[in-house]
Amino acid sequence: MIVVKGLSKKFKDVEAVKDISFTVNDGEIVGLLGENGAGKTTTLRMLATMLKPTKGTAFINDYSIIEEPQKVRKEIGILFGGEVGLYDRLTARENIEYFGKLNSMDEKDMKDSINELIDKFQMEEYIDRRVGKFSRGMKQRVAIARSIVHQPTVMLFDEPTTGLDVTAAKIVHDFILQCREEGKSIIFSSHSMQEVERLSDRIIIIHKGSIMDEGTIDYFKKKYEKDNMEDIFIQLVGEKR
Amino acid sequence: MSITSIVYKKELLDIFRDKKTLVAAILIPFLLYPIMFGFMGKGIKGTTSFMEKEDGIEIAMIDNDDSEIGEIIKAQKNIKIKESDNMLEDVKAGKLLLGIEIPQGFDENIATEQEANITIVFDNTSQKSNMVMSYINEIIDQYSKDIVTRRLENKKIDTNILNPINTVTKSPEKEESGFGKLMLSLMLPMMLVIFASSGPIASAVDLGAGEKERGTLEPLLTTQASRMSLLWGKFLAITTMGIITSLAFIGGLAISMKTSPEAFGYGVEGTTFALEPKALIIIAVITILLTMVFGALALAISIYARSFKEAQTYLTPLSFIGMIGFTSYFIEPKNMSTVFLHIPIVNTVAIIKELTLGIFNITHLAIVFIWMFIYIGLSIAFARYMFSKEEVIFRT
Ligand SMILES: Nc1ncnc2c1ncn2[C@@H]1O[C@H](COP(=O)(O)OP(=O)(O)OP(=O)(O)O)[C@@H](O)[C@H]1O
Ligand SMILES: [Mg+2]
Repeated sequence: MIVVKGLSKKFKDVEAVKDISFTVNDGEIVGLLGENGAGKTTTLRMLATMLKPTKGTAFINDYSIIEEPQKVRKEIGILFGGEVGLYDRLTARENIEYFGKLNSMDEKDMKDSINELIDKFQMEEYIDRRVGKFSRGMKQRVAIARSIVHQPTVMLFDEPTTGLDVTAAKIVHDFILQCREEGKSIIFSSHSMQEVERLSDRIIIIHKGSIMDEGTIDYFKKKYEKDNMEDIFIQLVGEKR
Repeated sequence: MSITSIVYKKELLDIFRDKKTLVAAILIPFLLYPIMFGFMGKGIKGTTSFMEKEDGIEIAMIDNDDSEIGEIIKAQKNIKIKESDNMLEDVKAGKLLLGIEIPQGFDENIATEQEANITIVFDNTSQKSNMVMSYINEIIDQYSKDIVTRRLENKKIDTNILNPINTVTKSPEKEESGFGKLMLSLMLPMMLVIFASSGPIASAVDLGAGEKERGTLEPLLTTQASRMSLLWGKFLAITTMGIITSLAFIGGLAISMKTSPEAFGYGVEGTTFALEPKALIIIAVITILLTMVFGALALAISIYARSFKEAQTYLTPLSFIGMIGFTSYFIEPKNMSTVFLHIPIVNTVAIIKELTLGIFNITHLAIVFIWMFIYIGLSIAFARYMFSKEEVIFRT
């Protein structure tokens, strides 16, 4: 469960995130929708304790991101878009193990967890090969396995499908849905309306650091009397220009 | 297993699987000196060896009277007399190394104790010609000493009149080892400082900016590992690589002293470079400490950079700082000003120089060690500051 309370972040002269509050329940997927520079990455980085909020706070399973960042990090798994973020010269297994160890897992739990992940993502063929020469799809699976090796209950995805082809994107989408099945609380950011509509239980529209509106797809369609989420988004964001 | 040692092991594994870093950190340092000094030695040999070859020195000589000195020169095995119509032109064109003109009546002038002249034509811009010039001069010098001796004997004067002062030299070190120590005290401090400053760079680039470029930094920062333990693991891995690089350099240097002694000046062959074990250990410790300072600085700068390329650009000046090691040529440890002991790097140079000369000055050692620990503290604090700054970690 994620509870965000008045979270703000200011970089020198840019107010990247302005006083946002929302909640994500267990087993719920919340889509964070916004244009470039809306503040999505900044928000997720604050939740992941990489950035310190200027004001406000958030709680991950009741742990404060400010007071107990280490405990928060035990609860979260992240999958950020762009580079897959693997060490090319390590094997898939070594990559995953490294993060298991850094998350203070004991040897046995980690072995079990990795074996389970190998099965789940069909990686037996290449688990002991170096990542450098993998296809993007293979790398994607390794990165996903790496993000949940320590069995987090909260997942943060930042534009996880940017730069991926259809097959690789599907791997990620299936994974996000699977996480919901397992009862995890999930936030994922995107600027693809389609993706957000398909996956999210609830949508938060963020623009220039502020939340414009949030709710289910039905809520948006009723409130704005439009059938197309894209038009609704343009209307919301356009008003503020 | 502590987080620091997990990070340390992973980083070393990663580095040792990287051919690029291995080449830069081990292979090149190891081969640099043997190749460099190999060429230098060959060059030096090449320019001197012709002097020893039979008929290796081609000169022209005008000596119509077949004078005594002319015969002596001709009799040298390594000298070959060639014909020349215009000695000056031929020397200038490089066809001859030197030309000698002995005027008519030369022997007669000597016999009658009149002035006797020899003209030598040589190319003062050519190293070979200069060498031949001094070689011929030596022969003439020797000949003129013989004449002086003969004349004095004719006049019944003791030849010792020519040597009013006789010098006898004594040094605290045996002659050969004294030279070796001098060489060592000049070169070792300089080399070690350069190694310590440039050794950590290659791996620091990979372990700092590399994480950003690969996109591994964000997942790394969201593990339970604290930033300090990440920093320590990386710092120790970089220091280890720095030490390995220094060892590769030293190994290469030792090999090139064996394979190309000419490049180190004559006399190195027979000299001993042995250091007292005590000095060796202290020098090793100081070099490691200095490597740590540079390792922490390199890591701090590397994490600031956005990419490999940027990191390489920022880190190159660090190896220039190591060039301060050249001050070892100016520092005279036996009577240096203590101010040197308070100037970063210069103090390292000074203390290593002292140690190579067998001086153990406890006060000096204490001062330098205290400074070393201050530098390490400061540079780690700097790296720590950089690791904790959002502006640095997420610089865009
Ligand atoms: N480290 C930083 N230092 C200074 N300004 C920053 C930093 N990170 C982000 N910003 C600024 O904060 C604002 C929000 O950026 P953010 O990356 O959170 O947006 P985003 O919604 O993720 O955009 P995108 O869709 O392009 O990823 C932007 O104006 C950006 O320039
Ligand atoms: Mg973003």
